[in-house]
Amino acid sequence: MIPHREVYWNIEGHLLIYLFLVIALIFFFYGYYRLYKYWRIGQPRDLSGHAWERIKSVLVNAFGHARVLRETYPGIMHFAIFWGFLVMVVGTIIVMLEADLGFKLIYGNFYLYFMSLGLDMAGLAAIIGIVMAIIRRYVLRPGRLDNKPDDAWSLILILVILITGFVLEGLRIAATRQPWDVWSPVGWLIAGWLGPAAPWQETLHRVLWWAHMALALGFIAYIPFSKLSHIFLSPLNQYYRSLEPKGALIKLDLENEEAESFGVAAVEQFTWKDLFDAEACTRCGRCRDNCPAHLSQKALCPKKLIQDIKGELEIKAPVLLSATAVGVEGQAAEAAASSEAVQSIASRVLIGEAVSEEEIWTCTTCRSCMEQCPVFVEQVPKLVEMRRYLVLTESRFPAEAQTAFRNMENNGNPWGVGWANRADWATELGVKVAAEDSDMEILYWPGCAGAFDDRNRRVATAMVKLLQAAGVNFGILGTEEKCCGDSARRLGNEYLFQMLVEENVETMKGYNVKKIVTQCPHCYNTLKNEYPQFGGDFEVVHHTQYLLELVSSGRLKVQKPLGKRITYHDSCYLGRYNDIYREPRQLLQAAGGTQVLEMERHHNRSFCCGAGGGRMWLEEREGQRINIMRTEQALATNPEVVCTACPFCLTMLGDGLKDKGLEEQVAAMDIAEILAGAV
Amino acid sequence: MQIAVCLKQTFDTEAKIKLTGDGQIDSAGVNLIINPYDEFAVEEALRLKEKLGGEVVVVSVGPAQVQESVRQALAMGADRAVLVSDPAVAPSDHSQVAAVLAKVLQSEPFDLILSGWVAIDDNAAQVPARLAEKLNLPQVNMAVKIEIGGGKATVTREAEGATEIVEVPLPAIITAQKGLNEPRYPSLKGIMQAKKKELKLLTAADLGAELGASQVKILQYSLPPARQAGKKIEGEPVDSARELARLLREEAKVI
Amino acid sequence: MGKDVFIFAEVKAGQLRKVAVELLSHGRAVADQFGGQLVAVLVGQGVGAAAAACGQYGADKVLAADSSELATYITEPYAAVVGQIIAENQPGVFLAGNTMLARDLFPRVAERVKAGLVTDCTGMTLEGGNLVFTRPIYAGKALTKVQVESSPVMATIRPNALGVAEVAARQAEVVQVAVTIPAEAKRVAIKEVQRRESKRPELTEAEIIVSGGRGMKGPENYVILEELADVLGAAVGASRAAVDAGWRDHAFQVGQTGKTVSPNLYIACGISGAIQHLAGMGSSKVIAAINKDPEANIFNVADYGIVDDLFKVVPALTQEVKKLVQES
Repeated sequence: MIPHREVYWNIEGHLLIYLFLVIALIFFFYGYYRLYKYWRIGQPRDLSGHAWERIKSVLVNAFGHARVLRETYPGIMHFAIFWGFLVMVVGTIIVMLEADLGFKLIYGNFYLYFMSLGLDMAGLAAIIGIVMAIIRRYVLRPGRLDNKPDDAWSLILILVILITGFVLEGLRIAATRQPWDVWSPVGWLIAGWLGPAAPWQETLHRVLWWAHMALALGFIAYIPFSKLSHIFLSPLNQYYRSLEPKGALIKLDLENEEAESFGVAAVEQFTWKDLFDAEACTRCGRCRDNCPAHLSQKALCPKKLIQDIKGELEIKAPVLLSATAVGVEGQAAEAAASSEAVQSIASRVLIGEAVSEEEIWTCTTCRSCMEQCPVFVEQVPKLVEMRRYLVLTESRFPAEAQTAFRNMENNGNPWGVGWANRADWATELGVKVAAEDSDMEILYWPGCAGAFDDRNRRVATAMVKLLQAAGVNFGILGTEEKCCGDSARRLGNEYLFQMLVEENVETMKGYNVKKIVTQCPHCYNTLKNEYPQFGGDFEVVHHTQYLLELVSSGRLKVQKPLGKRITYHDSCYLGRYNDIYREPRQLLQAAGGTQVLEMERHHNRSFCCGAGGGRMWLEEREGQRINIMRTEQALATNPEVVCTACPFCLTMLGDGLKDKGLEEQVAAMDIAEILAGAV
Repeated sequence: MQIAVCLKQTFDTEAKIKLTGDGQIDSAGVNLIINPYDEFAVEEALRLKEKLGGEVVVVSVGPAQVQESVRQALAMGADRAVLVSDPAVAPSDHSQVAAVLAKVLQSEPFDLILSGWVAIDDNAAQVPARLAEKLNLPQVNMAVKIEIGGGKATVTREAEGATEIVEVPLPAIITAQKGLNEPRYPSLKGIMQAKKKELKLLTAADLGAELGASQVKILQYSLPPARQAGKKIEGEPVDSARELARLLREEAKVI
Repeated sequence: MGKDVFIFAEVKAGQLRKVAVELLSHGRAVADQFGGQLVAVLVGQGVGAAAAACGQYGADKVLAADSSELATYITEPYAAVVGQIIAENQPGVFLAGNTMLARDLFPRVAERVKAGLVTDCTGMTLEGGNLVFTRPIYAGKALTKVQVESSPVMATIRPNALGVAEVAARQAEVVQVAVTIPAEAKRVAIKEVQRRESKRPELTEAEIIVSGGRGMKGPENYVILEELADVLGAAVGASRAAVDAGWRDHAFQVGQTGKTVSPNLYIACGISGAIQHLAGMGSSKVIAAINKDPEANIFNVADYGIVDDLFKVVPALTQEVKKLVQES
């Protein structure tokens, strides 16, 4: 006898299900259509093309759960629910195909392995996942989760559907005993408990079956109106994620002289993708657990930010949509528009209402939230867009930022030291300046810190000595170099940024610069990823990469490694933004001669020093000081040297050590200084 | 309320000062900014306008590149500007500059004339007072707070070792001291709008200003000796403290 | 053209200000050169004692405008009196100390009498029979020599710039000037004067700032800086490190993100001299630094540096300054 099961056993009139399914699907599609209309109030953004790359991203991140699995408990939990459910959906479709389209699939081994054992295991996995979720959400209660009724309903609904499914299976098995029943182990066990076949079982089965169906269809209808909407939105959001370099912010068109407003002040000024982000967010809170601003008790919480944007969208979109819909029809428009309540909603701004200015300025743009978000929500660009509004349209920002802006404007560096002094550090070192001799293998870009900051000048000096020792033909722009513009752009001052970029690009093109080496990850990121937006196409290399190349090729020989306990701090703009993790460690291994001590947070989980996103120039008034937190994390490895590869990190961690009174025991050093001491 | 702001363009505070071959101040490559004290005046004018309505007119004297600074004031929110650009006006002769400004300011009625109390380049602090004298207006210098009401201004001003609150009938000339306000940073919107605002370029002749002969003659510019690496004072704390006090008094003449 | 040298001899609390003494003593030689008289001009109320003292510093004559209407300085009444004195006496030279009062008064007077004026001078020499003034411009980054081609030649000269020259005392005739202030000059009325004798000056306006950084070790130690500040009439500042540590209020922070100051004297105690700090005080005319770290960057910009424990040096310095103040 071929193992088989009768579909719709004990059920009469199952075709009614299709009617109900149609009703459920109407709700389902209406629900998503409603959301679709919401996103459409956003501004255009072209994210078409690169289909294969995008599909790969979905395969890896949705089906493969690559990011979700970075955390064990929630990772396994969600993986079990996702795959359990997916397998069962496939099983359900097969049942439909068999019952009403004449397929003969539920036979033999396929029946035993997949439809029986496979689906049972999937169901079990899903139940385990759901139970884990319930335990996590209501017993373990991690701080990053907030509970809404929707969370409970969604979990209960899924759990009840799964359990009723298994009970149904048990009832069927109890009534129709077959030799292969054991292939459905869960149903078989339940059947065992139910005892010998009895008429009440058939009655219960029939009632339960319809209840199960009602719940399942209700579930489908409920999806787009609940957090369950993420089932489809998250993969779509993964599909539509930005494929631009991670470190490139969108170029703002400043040529438009008619523009009344720049940046984002109201929710509909975001792009559709930003609004999609808000809808795709599952409130998992991983961003929050990795946000230095939040962890240091500041106003910003990336999860809350996205949820607040979503909340604003849901209040405002229906009003804006009805206003335009009515507007088309004419007369009724006046009546609708004159309604004060509608007007007041339609004119709502985001900043100062749903999102406070404090939140906006607290972000260090460290990208930790974006790096950890399983569904690729883009928090940082949204904050920058709001900063753009505040700076470019309202001219409202922390007072210290004004000083930095003025300094960059007048002297091309945020410190405001006279531009004419920019090359002073290099004069004694005999570094050639492009204006005198522009024939060079590489242009060395010390950046403002390397040129002006006393501590970082020592790093620039170490770099020069290394380049000279390796016999590299290099030079600097000297007084013609200006701030790369990173801080200006990330503080929202796109106008100043573009001014600086244009001058730098023109200067470098004038000297036919091909390759740039810099020790500053901020300069590196901006020159490499953002200058191409302005016609500045140069090969940009970070000093960790270049120095490693010099060491590997033997142009630099390590004679006496430092031999101390060294911990390495990943700079956000080097690591998370540009995926440079290997080179500094390899270089450090060579120059230090010892195994690099890893802090608890390293690589893409590294913790910001507090200076990114222009925060270097702002006061940190609220909460704990981020640089102190990072210093403490570094000290936990019991190092003798805290090594950085970024001038801002060096300053922040150096200050942190001083604050701890440990500057004599533990040194903060740039990787170039360590290498310079070793060759 | 019609408010005029007299504005001077100066070298950036961080500018490196060099001399040209013929011993003049070399302005090549130097960043030019609004004299910071005049910027306080612009800001104050804008705040008064926001409160009381009216118009803010920026008035300046200097070469063509002063337009940039004037545009910046317009970007901050001033309504229009007049720039007298005339090589015949010697910037070092404050009486001539005041004469030109006076002509502009007499050409239409103003309720209030504001400016910085001093310019950071020549540190002379003469033009506002000379202008007040030429226009026969009362003047109040070094204001840190200005309130307008009932046809008069109540001004809190810095005096030596004291803060004074004075009343002056309008029209009057009031000069700004640091602390009066924090000047705004022009928004991009403001910068865009400023491009379309009226900026009238005039010469001294257009105004019929009589300049007269310059009363001051600059004989020479020179650079001070480069900042020495500094004296390190050695010895026991008590001795080094005594020596420091002596040097500050007798050599540096600062205490 | 007049030959007499007039000195605006400012009176404070009934006494001649020190700068008036300096100018009188140096004006003597100028008057001798020009073959004119040295005349002290005193304006105010109760200037009699000060007027009587002028001869001691070389004045030939004293013009005293003593009136209750001149009790408190206001630009226009003073300008009216001084303008009238110039009109009546036609001096060849009229000098004042570069005090807040004279900086306010002299430009207005100069315009009234159509004279050229040089303010904020740090030097005055006689060259070829002409007075040549030296003055710093661009925050001291350049110097200029200036000659005034009007009569009178007017100038304000910084206190302490010339010092007191030795002159033989004379018997100076004190002439009372009849004070008539036109109604038009009384447009500005003083409503209130808040003296801040006990309080320290505002950071941004202070001529001397005593500032402390991380080397202060704790908020309680600032008292030694305050004591020094009080004998100097100075303000007390702090570096970002000290403010970040919560030792001082942000209002007292000097630097990039705090106040930008350019006092005549900046005494940096336990401040390393990070670039962001230098951005706020680098334009100080004289910088003195006390820091136990000989490598501290502050020593690269300091005119005077003491490498030692500030907790020993600062109290000693306070004592030394006190002695100097008592002597003068």
